[in-house]
Amino acid sequence: MEIVVCVRPVPEAETRLRVRADGRALDPDGVKFVLAGYDESAVEQALLLKESVPGSRVHAVALGPPPRTEEVLRAAIALGADAATWIDAGPEVLDDPIATARALAEAIRGAPHDLVLCGKQSGDREAGLVGPALGELLGIPDFGAVVELRFDPAAGRLTFRRPTEAGQELWEAPLPCLIGLQQAWNDPRTAKLPAILRSRKAPIAKIVAPPVSAPTAAAERFELPAPRAGAKMIEFSSPQEAAEKLVRLLREEAKVFP
Amino acid sequence: MTPPVLVLGELAGDRVVPATLEAIGVARSLVGDPADVVVLLAGGRARAAAEALTAFLGGTVRVRDEPSLDGAPAAAFAPVASATADLVGARWVVVGGTTFGRDLTGRLAARWNALAANGVTEATRDGDALRVRRPVFGGRATETLRLGGERAVVSIRPHAFPPASGPAGPARIEAAPAVEIPAPLLAARRKSVEPLATGRGPGLTDASIVVSGGRGLRTPENFRLVEELAESLGAAVGASRAVTDAGWRPASLQVGQTGRAVSPQLYIAVGISGAIQHLVGMVSSRVIVAINSDASAPIFKVADYGIVGDLFQVVPALTAEIRRVRGA
Repeated sequence: MEIVVCVRPVPEAETRLRVRADGRALDPDGVKFVLAGYDESAVEQALLLKESVPGSRVHAVALGPPPRTEEVLRAAIALGADAATWIDAGPEVLDDPIATARALAEAIRGAPHDLVLCGKQSGDREAGLVGPALGELLGIPDFGAVVELRFDPAAGRLTFRRPTEAGQELWEAPLPCLIGLQQAWNDPRTAKLPAILRSRKAPIAKIVAPPVSAPTAAAERFELPAPRAGAKMIEFSSPQEAAEKLVRLLREEAKVFP
Repeated sequence: MTPPVLVLGELAGDRVVPATLEAIGVARSLVGDPADVVVLLAGGRARAAAEALTAFLGGTVRVRDEPSLDGAPAAAFAPVASATADLVGARWVVVGGTTFGRDLTGRLAARWNALAANGVTEATRDGDALRVRRPVFGGRATETLRLGGERAVVSIRPHAFPPASGPAGPARIEAAPAVEIPAPLLAARRKSVEPLATGRGPGLTDASIVVSGGRGLRTPENFRLVEELAESLGAAVGASRAVTDAGWRPASLQVGQTGRAVSPQLYIAVGISGAIQHLVGMVSSRVIVAINSDASAPIFKVADYGIVGDLFQVVPALTAEIRRVRGA
């Protein structure tokens, strides 16, 4: 099976977020970008399928500026990806999910792709648009929020589950299709040192993203929440009193239930 | 005279899901006359759903009775949605923020090369453009986008808006375009839907109230205190990573960086100290209550209401008080 996995560099989870001077976006200065979260689960899923279906290949694709984009591709190679393609693109493409999907579609269309994997959304802006848009542009169905993906070689079908608002859904889908993975359900592996060293010299194909033709969504503001004032602490002399006071506050002050 | 706004409905049998009613409410707020909202329903029992919907909301519903769309991926709805928007002259499309709605939003945006946003918590008209706000970075920040251009598609965050109520003009049910749905998009099928792991209560990400338990409960048996409190509130049950790692409850209940992100109206943290790992998964909840014996626990920094005390006494008292006020 030819597996394409799309990854995107995102700020490390512990990053302290700061707002850019113009107030419209995250200030990327000093932020460490890594392969993480949803995309880590997508890479893990690609490797699990490669291990279970003989003759499979994993092709990692990432879009973005140097050096972070190349670094996440090397991380994917160190984990076990067989090939990598870097789509060099600036913020006008990277910040526009549909333009990102167009550039990815262009790169993937010409390469073998039985299965396209990505995170159900990116770990930073969480737009959740690139996967479905890429599916539409490739003319294949897409499924977000997927866990427990398996391939039945005899039937040539995928089976997977996804928790949605309706409940735990069980699906069957023929190839080709696009799967957006839920985060961290599959306990992603970590790369071993020799593989990390080898990945530094691995070849990475480079292409340049086509210019953007669509209007971009004007990012007007990027805001951090005002720090919460801290909890209003409930004073009480018995558990019953604590319960009564809390319920009264929730009904009359916070108005969260009738 | 503003162009109509199209709402893409989601069906569960012969009823629309609650998220669709929220989307209709948002669409109405974007037009001068609520009668300018058109709802598309497509599926095997779309007409029955349309009749049920218009019976209490009025307004215009476009219907495509199409049994092959029951249990089909969101991708298969995109051609019908696109043709309906063309037919009614809609520039803006609003969808409920379910998994189905989010998938459909990206499909349509790519089809039209249009601007789009998922999970918006505010949507307002700004002249010819749609201005939306949405949480990013797991609720640690918020972005505001101006969606100009010919067309825009948005899905709304579950529970962020009230459901539509009250009729918008007389009921009209008309046909949606009989556009062809490409066979490859119908080849994938949903085989079954089981209620989520918690069994009785609502799903974790969909619930308006979540009660979560942590290490402070000490044993897996004691976790029942959390489940009983949740039951008294009709809430979903969540857990900290300590609880799911220890195998007290399944990983599907984990709230946090490596689990689910939730943003209910009310989040009650029981015996959870509040590691950053957990906080990023729940900090965007509207109201947060923390119950913990350690007054210095970081959870109190993000909570709105705090009780420092013995959870083994306070939680049963709270469950009893809620049952009392709810008359159950």
